[in-house]
Amino acid sequence: MKTRLRFGYLLPLAIILVWGVWVLLKGEDTLRETTFTVFMFIGMASSLNILLGYTGYVSFGHIVFFGLGGYFGFYLVSQHNLALIPASLAGGALSGALAGLLGLAVLRLRGAYFALATIGINEAARAFVSNFGPFGGATGLFVQFSAYEAYGGAGPALWTTFIYLWLVTLVVLLASSLVKSSRFGLGLMAIREDEDAAMVMGVKAPRAKTIAFMISAFFPGMIGTLYFFKNGNVEPGDAFQLHMSIEALVMIMLGGMGTVFGPMLGAVTYQGLRGYLLTSPIFKSLHLAVSGVFLLVIILFIPAGVVGWIRHRIPLTRKLLE
Amino acid sequence: MRKTRLWLLVALAILSLILAGTSMAQKEKKAAAPAAKAAAKNVVIGFTASQTGKFNVEATRQIHGLSLWMDQVNAAGGVKLPDGSAVKFTAKFYDDESKKERVQELYTKLINEDKADFLISPYSSGLADASAVIAQQYKRIMITCGAASDSTYKKGYTLVYQTYTPASRYLNGALDLLSKMDPKAKTIAIVHEKDKFSTDVVNALKTYAESKGYKVALFEGYEPGTTDFAPFINKIPAGVDAIMGGGHFADTSTFAKQLYEKGFKTKMVALLVAPPEDKFAELGDAAYGIIGPSQWEPQVKYGPEGAKAMGIEYFGISVADFTKEYTAKFKEPPTYHSAGGYVAGLLLEKAIATAGSTDTEKVKAALDKMDIMTFYGRIKFDTEKSHGLQIGHDMVDIQWQRDEKKNLVKQVVWPEAAATAKPVFYHAK
Repeated sequence: MKTRLRFGYLLPLAIILVWGVWVLLKGEDTLRETTFTVFMFIGMASSLNILLGYTGYVSFGHIVFFGLGGYFGFYLVSQHNLALIPASLAGGALSGALAGLLGLAVLRLRGAYFALATIGINEAARAFVSNFGPFGGATGLFVQFSAYEAYGGAGPALWTTFIYLWLVTLVVLLASSLVKSSRFGLGLMAIREDEDAAMVMGVKAPRAKTIAFMISAFFPGMIGTLYFFKNGNVEPGDAFQLHMSIEALVMIMLGGMGTVFGPMLGAVTYQGLRGYLLTSPIFKSLHLAVSGVFLLVIILFIPAGVVGWIRHRIPLTRKLLE
Repeated sequence: MRKTRLWLLVALAILSLILAGTSMAQKEKKAAAPAAKAAAKNVVIGFTASQTGKFNVEATRQIHGLSLWMDQVNAAGGVKLPDGSAVKFTAKFYDDESKKERVQELYTKLINEDKADFLISPYSSGLADASAVIAQQYKRIMITCGAASDSTYKKGYTLVYQTYTPASRYLNGALDLLSKMDPKAKTIAIVHEKDKFSTDVVNALKTYAESKGYKVALFEGYEPGTTDFAPFINKIPAGVDAIMGGGHFADTSTFAKQLYEKGFKTKMVALLVAPPEDKFAELGDAAYGIIGPSQWEPQVKYGPEGAKAMGIEYFGISVADFTKEYTAKFKEPPTYHSAGGYVAGLLLEKAIATAGSTDTEKVKAALDKMDIMTFYGRIKFDTEKSHGLQIGHDMVDIQWQRDEKKNLVKQVVWPEAAATAKPVFYHAK
């Protein structure tokens, strides 16, 4: 897979790189926390976009990989004292492998049937975890406060977690760019436009879809491990929240599906808006209503998402925004 | 020409991103400045409130309780310190939407930007657990309320203090009551919601029951959101002396209703969370005889005399005054959530007064030594292995009974010292 990364692919990477460096240089805890939430959703939305945006399969089950992978990673950290990086990689690997298995079964379904099947998977995963002894069953798992000592105390541990998340976000965006600019990615987009035609043209659709599903599932597993570690505990209810899957979908639609820049922009806008409204003195009681109206306006008037709209209106930007 | 314009656009975009970021940060700083300046006499209490989402009702009551305390203590001139100054309190809070996602972000902001000196936990064990990490990390004292789970206090925190009786003692009182009502009772069945809180409660109950020589004939969990309990009721062996368990309001009410409709014969039904709610009476006959543990009820009889008998100090408002003033201000009677919010503030007030300072270390020492009686009951914390765990406060058990006019009324039936009526046996249809 020979790829040439054009400027448009490098732009999101550069922004996240600069953003992360800026947060590290400023060294403010509040800024770190706000950015953590935003990066987490950039990672979630961008990884989902590999399946949704490029392949055209709507999945409500993205949170399953976040929950299960995160659970597994957190289990390794809290019960087996594994370091955070190998644990989160293991969490990601479990999610990827699970997606591989699931993909073989459910990616044969198309359209609404696939979407419905993914909702079922979410419920099944929650029921499994709340009955699974090693994961603590319904009461969940937690880490001792002293576990943070290995990272130089709780404060430095949170910074370390932030840096890992920053790196993961960069890798997600890089993976998204690589997939989009590769022949494999072209195959995915052919599937999105017309799966039968793509197969006639020689795209091995079942295999390509499964690989795309695995790539998109790997990252939530890593992010989940980092997020639960930062929280210090995990319960089945927190790990499998359908609304987070839906929020990731909204972010992709908002920014522009099938683009690298779009999900990132969508995540930043959506989370930025929510965070601002939540703490602003004027809107803090009205934040849900305001963000609802805002989303409605966007979906009514720019259904292709912000990036799609800009690319359509200003031809100059087509080279800049991928 | 075209290229330059392109680059200009990009540069502009990046610049506006950075500007937006810094201006937001600056704004936050500006807002925080006055609070920091006034910190000498003004103590900021920070917390998140579930103003939206599934904990909205309980969390609102908790915040009402806290704000009543704050109004009263400020109106009385604040807490007097030995150096002659008085400490007054202001609240700073954000909505956590009943979700864990932003709890840590908001508490970090409360500490760093809003300069909160002391923290109150959000409602519910899960959210409180997430916020406690931040409190401990930044060395702020946090009083948890609305959070009964034991596990938070087993993590090695030294600055987190619990107001609620922990989950591990939630249903033990009901079992003691059973042995009092019928010393021959031998078997119980436990049917519970499979979530963190209920599971913690029944695991502890099972251990306690077995240590008292009871046989747990059934120990079965149901998924959150269950609406049909017939399969579980059918599984309960005939002749058990008591059924215990439940979970949260909706499922527990349905369980109670279906138990009644099935005509199950047993001596006692003790369920979590739902029975103390006034809305539970809407079940009508199905509510009669149901017992439920509660952290506090307006009928409790904690007072200076009881404190004297125990050899400890009574501090703060009386039960009657709390109920009267709360009802007057918020147009509804207080529940245990309200009392929990109020007592969280009251504890801080007492600890600051004892310490004679708002310094975290000194207030912590005062809290560690605290053993007082309040309108809410006794308060004493574990200072050993499970630091901060509530070991002084006890649950009361309520039962729905009928008054002379055959109306359903809530009576306190346990502990005996606080009882307002004699317990009755459960009667199904």
